[in-house]
Amino acid sequence: MSIEITSLSKSFGHFPAVTDVNLRVDTGEMVAFLGPSGSGKTTLLRIIAGLEFADSGEVFFDGENVSQKSANERKAGFVFQSYALFNHMSIFENIAFGLRVAPRSRRLGKEKIRERVLSLLETIQLSGLESRFPVQLSGGQRQRVAFARALAVEPRVLLLDEPFGALDAKVRRELRGWLTEFHNTTHLTSLFVTHDQEEAFEVANRVVIINRGTVQQVGTPEEVRSAPSNEFVRDFLALD
Amino acid sequence: MASFIDFRNPPGSDRRADDWIRANSEPIWVRRVLIGILLLFFILFLGMPLLVIFQGALAMGVQTFLTTFTDDNILHSVQITLLVALIAVPSNAAFGVAAAWAVTRYRFTGRALLLALIDLPLWVSPVIGGLIYVLIYGRRGYLGPWLQEHDIRIIFALPGVIMATTFVTFPFVARSLIPLMQAQGCEEEEAALTLGASGFQILRRITLPKIRWGFFYGVILCNARAMGEFGAVSVVSAKVSGMTNTMPLEIERLYNDYLFASAFAVASALSMLALITLVLKSIAEWANERQLVAGQKVLLEATINTTQIHPAA
Repeated sequence: MSIEITSLSKSFGHFPAVTDVNLRVDTGEMVAFLGPSGSGKTTLLRIIAGLEFADSGEVFFDGENVSQKSANERKAGFVFQSYALFNHMSIFENIAFGLRVAPRSRRLGKEKIRERVLSLLETIQLSGLESRFPVQLSGGQRQRVAFARALAVEPRVLLLDEPFGALDAKVRRELRGWLTEFHNTTHLTSLFVTHDQEEAFEVANRVVIINRGTVQQVGTPEEVRSAPSNEFVRDFLALD
Repeated sequence: MASFIDFRNPPGSDRRADDWIRANSEPIWVRRVLIGILLLFFILFLGMPLLVIFQGALAMGVQTFLTTFTDDNILHSVQITLLVALIAVPSNAAFGVAAAWAVTRYRFTGRALLLALIDLPLWVSPVIGGLIYVLIYGRRGYLGPWLQEHDIRIIFALPGVIMATTFVTFPFVARSLIPLMQAQGCEEEEAALTLGASGFQILRRITLPKIRWGFFYGVILCNARAMGEFGAVSVVSAKVSGMTNTMPLEIERLYNDYLFASAFAVASALSMLALITLVLKSIAEWANERQLVAGQKVLLEATINTTQIHPAA
């Protein structure tokens, strides 16, 4: 699915979080929002998901204006930095949640749900852990469950907020490789937020560099590195 | 932006407090004296009164105790108390969840005012709470003439008793939920939303299970206060035995009529209700604690296991 954002602005009180952002993400792309802490990249992602509403500007999914639609109508797969797993539910129920709350007309049967959940567990290499609870898993395992939960409802776009932010360096690298591989096989349009340029350049096809709520530069990792558009980008990427 | 959540020491876990206590241990005689004073206080102010109630109730023999509860007026007061609690507690439970939800999930104008209003019944004397209702719904109150025209009786009738009790017990459920929901945050609800869940599904499947013990605790507290309320109810009830008297009011009547054995008998019944409440409250706290501790213990084991079995996990 393609995503288009036109002149999007949002402020919290007097603090402008996102200012006049225009962006187009094509179907199958993997785009990174890269910027320092507090630059507004997470806010931008949340606006796309419908968890936050812009003060002005529009969001289009495949050409359809979804600006006024709530998050449960947009159904963008969202992965939270702190996983946000349902702690009172088993891993199985966590992944099955989106399938269970679907409107009756579109809801899968019990067996189908079971099949889907088990196959997702296989995808994230956690087969056999379905009856565990989130507190019984390590950080990396929890993050993979969060992925599976988002993917269970077959979203047309995947939004990842600092997906590896709370993990240690080793697990981070592994999950990064896993995400790249996943994207290469499914070509699911994906946007992810990070403050780690190594991560952005390794995983993303295109990088959107954001500072103080405005887009500084958009381009492939090579373009951004070889021709930084301004002083901030040069400085932030530590190029000379 | 980076909101790192420490899963191993969630808010409310008392590890640091434990360490602090050990590091600051007092000499043994100081501890003994302090505990002694505390015990004395407990016996004089809490233990003895409770014993005296039961002693007074049984002073004239078991027979008198039992016949007390065959008296129509006394039985009626028990019914009224249970009925009042049956209406006031569920209404406040529903209101408490709604208020806690609104206050912790949204930022809106008037939020601070709502928070203050929730606490209001704790700040003002219950008697004033009762008087306010008389001033509004009483014969000479603001709505008095209108109510009289339509033949609706609130003050000095059962509706007034229920409303006054509801007013006094207003804060308990909301108060026990607000800190809990604030600490839990709303990411799980947001996750459910992006998975296509509706508001009602989120409430039923995510929010309520997350707050169930805190909710239970608040409801028990609310119930204890609803059954025991005296001040506000005594203002709006005409204190007609067999009509609008609740158990606390009935105890006062019996006492004033020098029917001490009966007064103590009803008081002991009310105390029993309180003791049952206390046991339920302890169970709620214990279950809550156990859930938390189990979570931490399992987490520790899981961390050890995964680092041993799947070093790459």
